Amino acid sequence: MEEQDQMQSSIEVEELEEQQQREGKRLEEENVVRFLDSLDSYVTLLDSLSSTLRQGWLELASARQSMGASRINGALLDLKFHSAATSLQVTHHDDEILNQPHFTLCKWASSKNGYGDEKLRENKLQTNSDGPQLRHRSQFAGTPEKIPETKGAPLIVDDQVQKERTKSLSMFGTLVSPKLRAAQLSFETALETLVEIANVRLTMLSTSDQVRKELEGTEG
Amino acid sequence: MYGFEALTFNIHAGYLEAIVRGHRAGLLTAADYNNLCQCETLDDIKMHLSATEYGPYLQNEPSPLHTTTIVEKCTLKLVDDYKHMLCQATEPLSTFLEYITYGHMIDNVVLIVTGTLHERDVQELLEKCHPLGMFDSIATLAVAQNMRELYRLVLVDTPLAPYFSECITSEDLDDMNIEIMRNTLYKAYLEDFYRFCQKLGGATAEIMSDLLSFEADRRAVNISINSIGTELTRDDRKKLYSNFGLFYPYGHEELAVCEDIDQVRGVMEKYPPYQSIFSKLSYGESQMLDKAFYEEEVKRLCLAFEQQFHYGVFFAYMRLREQEIRNLMWISECVAQNQKSRVHDSVVFIF
Repeated sequence: MEEQDQMQSSIEVEELEEQQQREGKRLEEENVVRFLDSLDSYVTLLDSLSSTLRQGWLELASARQSMGASRINGALLDLKFHSAATSLQVTHHDDEILNQPHFTLCKWASSKNGYGDEKLRENKLQTNSDGPQLRHRSQFAGTPEKIPETKGAPLIVDDQVQKERTKSLSMFGTLVSPKLRAAQLSFETALETLVEIANVRLTMLSTSDQVRKELEGTEG
Repeated sequence: MYGFEALTFNIHAGYLEAIVRGHRAGLLTAADYNNLCQCETLDDIKMHLSATEYGPYLQNEPSPLHTTTIVEKCTLKLVDDYKHMLCQATEPLSTFLEYITYGHMIDNVVLIVTGTLHERDVQELLEKCHPLGMFDSIATLAVAQNMRELYRLVLVDTPLAPYFSECITSEDLDDMNIEIMRNTLYKAYLEDFYRFCQKLGGATAEIMSDLLSFEADRRAVNISINSIGTELTRDDRKKLYSNFGLFYPYGHEELAVCEDIDQVRGVMEKYPPYQSIFSKLSYGESQMLDKAFYEEEVKRLCLAFEQQFHYGVFFAYMRLREQEIRNLMWISECVAQNQKSRVHDSVVFIF
């Protein structure tokens, strides 16, 4: 009887060990997959950033050709002190798996409009990079569904964002070419992509460390 | 009297007309542009331009070249040609040639005022000014706080003085006021130039009225498109349109209320001379509109050379040279940014 009990307990221990090994392998594989996913995202985002920046610079050159070199040049950039229209927030997650900071872009946020901490995603308004980037009031009145619900009315947020965009372009004049606005949107997209790249890179480095530790543990 | 210029034109302006027609022959051809579009680097562009009239201006520029350097040196060629013609000209041709530069003068004034508003150094701004628009007291623009001071301290002694009567206020200069000032000045300048050409009469009046009307119409369209979605009201927009041109007055009424590019297109398509411009564009597209306008302008400028004994050839040559410089700027940017596939987006062939 005692022998049977001992055999059963040893079987249970073996099963438990096997289960732990399987679990360990699963976690290893998960980390490898997560690392490869983040690497793939990183490479894709780098490529996207490169093409967006190329597009932005060409649009800027096109705007310069349209409006004239005297209207678009570095000598017109505003050196007066003013608050940043866009800021980067760094938050730390309490995640057990990924204990790493997270970057969040707060676009067109200022203390005046009261939406200072909102992250306003305007990608859907300008995803078509080939078309003109003219903005007019009727366009925003018809697209509330494209903007996620925020604290205030979406239309007010849209209007405020447009005002901030126009304000930042006003150093080149108030009646600027649609090409310059398109360039602004391209660089805005590039900035968002940069922040995404930073977050994905953190994930990639973190998962890479975990995979390396697991491999070292296995070899040891 | 129209038709009798052949009797007297060559007495005072024959030499200069021959000079300007010689300059016209030096403009880059399609073959030159094809070679330039195949360049891999800016040094290659410099090498190809060394065989043209720009050669002497670029030959001493060290590598690495910048696109702004190429544009600056090519502009010097235009300035030298202009100054040679101006110093040889007698009245009324000398006044006509001076009128051609007032647009650049307005741009320079706005550049200095805007840069000063943004707390930039005056010397840095002066380096960015167009050489054709320079005048003696331009540096003192930086001290003015509002338009009244601008006029009283500096511009009262310049050729732009008469154009300020419509925009003098005591309001402090800000971005919107400066933009309105720019467009109001340009409107007054175009109208004044138009009246001057009408007074000259003959072939000059006929050819220049066509060219200036096109310029006024193009400005009206650009103001309409650029003001969509801005704080500029319809009334303010209408005030910036010139009081002549094909669109005056009914087209202006319609352009003033346009809310998008398709409405602007709808207005322009009612006028047969401009139907061909929009026929090249798809609906909702505005990126190629500038090129379409430039192509139409070049066509009209080249036609000015088909007739003799008028001042329009001088205006046409200056504008064609400016277009050529714009082409070189675009080609240089595409080469510098390694985007040669886009080089034909904005190059307008002259011949």
